[in-house]
Amino acid sequence: MTHTIKLKANSRPEVMERILRVVRHRGFNLEEVLMKQCQTTNSTKITLKVSGDRPISNLETQLNKLYDVSQLELHQSTATADSAVAMNA
Amino acid sequence: MTGAELVLKVLQQHGIKHIFGYPGGAIMPIYDALYDSDVEHFLCRHEQGAAFSAIGYARSTGKVGVCMATSGPGATNLVTGLADAMMDSVPVVAITGQVFSSLIGTDAFQEMDVLGMSLSITKQSFLVQSLDELADILHQAFEVAQSGRPGPVLVDIPKDIQVGSVDFEPYPIAQKQVPDFDAQVLADAQALIKAANKPLFYIGGGVGMADAIDEMQDLLAKTKIPAISTLKALGTVPADYPYNLGLVGMHGNQAANHAVQDCDLLICTGARFDDRVTGKLDTFAPNAKVIHLDIDPAEISKLRQADISILADFKKLLPELAVTTEISPWQQQVAELKTQYAWRYDYPGDSIYAPKLLNLLSQKLPFDHAVSCDVGQHQMWVAQHMLFSSPRNHLSSGGAGTMGFGLPAAIGVQVARPDCMSVVVSGDGSFMMNVQELGTIRRFKLPVKIVLLDNQRLGMVKQWQELFFEERYSETNLSDNPDFVTLAKAFDIPALTISQDDQIEDGINQLINTDGPFLLHVQIDDKENVWPLVPPGKANHDMLEGEKV
Repeated sequence: MTHTIKLKANSRPEVMERILRVVRHRGFNLEEVLMKQCQTTNSTKITLKVSGDRPISNLETQLNKLYDVSQLELHQSTATADSAVAMNA
Repeated sequence: MTGAELVLKVLQQHGIKHIFGYPGGAIMPIYDALYDSDVEHFLCRHEQGAAFSAIGYARSTGKVGVCMATSGPGATNLVTGLADAMMDSVPVVAITGQVFSSLIGTDAFQEMDVLGMSLSITKQSFLVQSLDELADILHQAFEVAQSGRPGPVLVDIPKDIQVGSVDFEPYPIAQKQVPDFDAQVLADAQALIKAANKPLFYIGGGVGMADAIDEMQDLLAKTKIPAISTLKALGTVPADYPYNLGLVGMHGNQAANHAVQDCDLLICTGARFDDRVTGKLDTFAPNAKVIHLDIDPAEISKLRQADISILADFKKLLPELAVTTEISPWQQQVAELKTQYAWRYDYPGDSIYAPKLLNLLSQKLPFDHAVSCDVGQHQMWVAQHMLFSSPRNHLSSGGAGTMGFGLPAAIGVQVARPDCMSVVVSGDGSFMMNVQELGTIRRFKLPVKIVLLDNQRLGMVKQWQELFFEERYSETNLSDNPDFVTLAKAFDIPALTISQDDQIEDGINQLINTDGPFLLHVQIDDKENVWPLVPPGKANHDMLEGEKV
């Protein structure tokens, strides 16, 4: 399964490492990533496309638990690898 | 004031009176500020010892434990301790010195990417980037360490920030946020409990961490539902509760493991379906529906799908959960299981049977005592054969299983609770892993009592080699151990060796009644194994039961 997750996180230099570490350690592969700093809100918006056989809810709760993550939405889960629409949204 | 002085001010604001640590170049400004501070510093002999002492302090009191180290190797030596705190959800704040900000990333002396290393072994970590954010980060560190599911937080402070000037502003301490639970879900859970014929509480460390032991005990008294405990929960259920089945899992009581396999409703209360508890996961509690109560959303349905889950602070939830039950056939069955599988200590023989010694020690210790243990066979014997009145009195490295935990943890207990008899039960393998902390006991004249069970082996590994590796004893023979009595005496710690059954009573009496620290060196048979045992990959009802040697 492939899943698209959108996150809003505190703008700390290590926040991307922190998130990607959880993705890897909890058994998911990173397929695509998009990250944008927002200077006015001091936050970072991140879109991840990940694939893996484990329940995506387990990854959602682990990412949501990170102190620096303030919002998380699961946008799309598909059995195929094509979720370009979600990435561009 | 300087950044270093600010660090100590904030610690004091959070009620920190004691810290454990080891100085070095990049944290010297904080140690300089400590020189004039009311905060009492306990110099350990290795940073890993400092981390475990902070854990012992936290686990035995429910307060935050604080440890400090310098940059580079000082910080890496904290890593195992922080990982241990992460696995067992212990509120610890670690403060590390870092090289000057301008030198970060230049491979300077004792410069390491401590923030990078911390990512997987802390609940949260910070590299302070400016003086302006120092106070705020320190306050956040204390808040994060204690809130929700507790855990370790690391704050890495570059030296230029320690020496810079800053104004101190008092900071309002945030109130703990308690999630609200849904009344309908609570009613559904109660209905499921009422409808069950064989309900069973599966109690984990979360109850003690939420300071909800009284609430749990009230709930048990009202519902009279049988209970099993994880390693970290031991002491939560009163020892005289008639339906207390004790430890569940790989080395759990037979009665607990048979009960969990037979129950029709498992009420998981602050536990996490660890593999050492469940055995083969898909055979665990095969007939049971599951109610999962926790404060951490990530634990719900992580390994076992919950039929009903409630996220809540147990102090608030548990009093609401009480229902009347009609389960007398089940209670009867549990009582019979307890009788059928009761421990026995009346084996004949002259050598020392460690479970018997530990059981007797448990009976003879004063009421206010805490036992810290290391990892291996002795750790399981402590869990099986000693009784505890609170999980704060049983400190065992559960999730991480870190050898070397016991001695420094007991030091932390003794500092936090000076009137408590702080006891270490260790094995000859584990003891040598942080043996340098005998120096800390000597320095601070701490009356820590040490029971060293010595089978001249890495006993648990040897047991597995015997059972599962065709008796090929690879690298588990420690018959060249040092003379432990002489070793203790080098640190001014009186010591005694016993090896015969008829010496047990006198040995324990000397341990308890000698003023100050004492080491009781107990020689035991290396062929004695821990029973019962659920072999790896098997279901909990497939326990092996061996013979006493």
